[in-house]
Amino acid sequence: MSDDRYAFERIPLDAIRPGTTVLLAGPSHAGTRELGLRLLAGRDGEGAILVTTNRRSQRIAADCERAGLRLAADNSAILDCVGGEDADVPAQVLPVSGPSDLTGIGMRYSDVHRKFARSGIDRIRTGLFSLSTLLSFGDLKTVSRFVHTLVGRIDALDGLGVLLIDPAIHDDATISTLSQFCAGRIDVREGEDGPELRARGLPSQSRKWQAFDLGWE
Amino acid sequence: MLLCVDSDAASREATAETLRDAGFAVAEAATAGAARERFDDDLEGLVTEQSLPDGTGLELVADVREAVPDTPCVLFTDVPIAEIDTAAFGDLVVEYVPKDAPEARSEVVDLLNHAVAFRSQTAYPLPENEDARLAALEQYAANPDDLGASFDRLTELAAELFGVKAAAVGLIDTHEQRFLACTGVSFEPMDREDTICTYAILDGDVTVIEDVLDDRRFRDNEGLQAVDIRFYASAPVETPSGEAIGTFCVYDDEPREFSARDRELLSLLGDEAMEQLTLRRRLREVADE
Repeated sequence: MSDDRYAFERIPLDAIRPGTTVLLAGPSHAGTRELGLRLLAGRDGEGAILVTTNRRSQRIAADCERAGLRLAADNSAILDCVGGEDADVPAQVLPVSGPSDLTGIGMRYSDVHRKFARSGIDRIRTGLFSLSTLLSFGDLKTVSRFVHTLVGRIDALDGLGVLLIDPAIHDDATISTLSQFCAGRIDVREGEDGPELRARGLPSQSRKWQAFDLGWE
Repeated sequence: MLLCVDSDAASREATAETLRDAGFAVAEAATAGAARERFDDDLEGLVTEQSLPDGTGLELVADVREAVPDTPCVLFTDVPIAEIDTAAFGDLVVEYVPKDAPEARSEVVDLLNHAVAFRSQTAYPLPENEDARLAALEQYAANPDDLGASFDRLTELAAELFGVKAAAVGLIDTHEQRFLACTGVSFEPMDREDTICTYAILDGDVTVIEDVLDDRRFRDNEGLQAVDIRFYASAPVETPSGEAIGTFCVYDDEPREFSARDRELLSLLGDEAMEQLTLRRRLREVADE
């Protein structure tokens, strides 16, 4: 295997090939969101772009810190659909008018991705927190076009994408439709001894439920 | 054909030239009005400046999404992102390249190459074997006028067999579903993003939607409401090598169940439709020899 794959520390997942987007499906209380942030923590020289739809950038930045995802203004950006103060956030904060403005999210995403690439950062992990909010503000057709376009862009640019969704609040057809745009899916559940994950559709990954440590204070 | 829209002639011509060099057929327009006259089924992509003499690029994208919804759109513009009112057009989803970006035109080419090859701005998932599926469709597709009454008979029998209001056989091409026969309903070609069959061909099996209004994918679909579709079931019309080129569908105006035996029978009708298309393909081949 080549070593250009995206690797993960302290998470029971094998490295994932560049260009892959995964749907990260699980309830918020089982640590799904924390897992999503940890999947974005890469080696030195990588960049991260987060889209936050329901938490202010300050709060998601604090969540990142606790999850071990180190943000810095020269390699991290938060596309903030919520608004509010962005003082003291160690990342570029790019305001978007709201979670229904998928055109604005997509354009700002392209713009900041281009700026990072220009500064020599060619490996970028992208996290969308979360699709569930987008679905509560927009119809499935529009969200589908947005996801399809974003997944295509991540594929073309050899990035890694993580799209968070809570399957309990959507019907099966919605989850199935959105998962079909993604190369794979990671399910999260609350196990007897803590959170567990299971990979699906990703080559060379175990398909069994495996416990993972939140490492979350 | 790509449509390149910009009132700055030098900029437009440079963009069009770069796209032609990349192998695309390109039409040019200096205004939104002139661009609208070029909207047709051959449109593969739109590259537009945001600032146009008679409107904005995003307004033009909105019109393209109405006319040819699958079209990939790129905003290639001098207007800074902060000055573009995206909130009013939040549901469009476009690619964005500022003209002052380094290698900007080659980035536009890369975006369109990818978007056209992978059709990555559609609002629906594509089957994994989409390219093979479209190639197979090319081989089997028949002109409805050449099919005589056989498909009409099949749909009439299906409606009677399942006790439903309507039945149809449709083929799904790159952007549209076209119908070979309908009973109890009359369908014009429909944009792929608006038909249930677009999703059904992803299943590889009989698809049943007992109540369309319970399904988030379709409950706001005005086209289905206009023809009073509440129940839907379909079997794939599938080639021997496994490409679902179309569907055999039945519809009703109220929610209902569909038994395991019903599924089997509908599947047989799908197979029969495929057999008919296969035989006609062989007849055409013999006639050509």
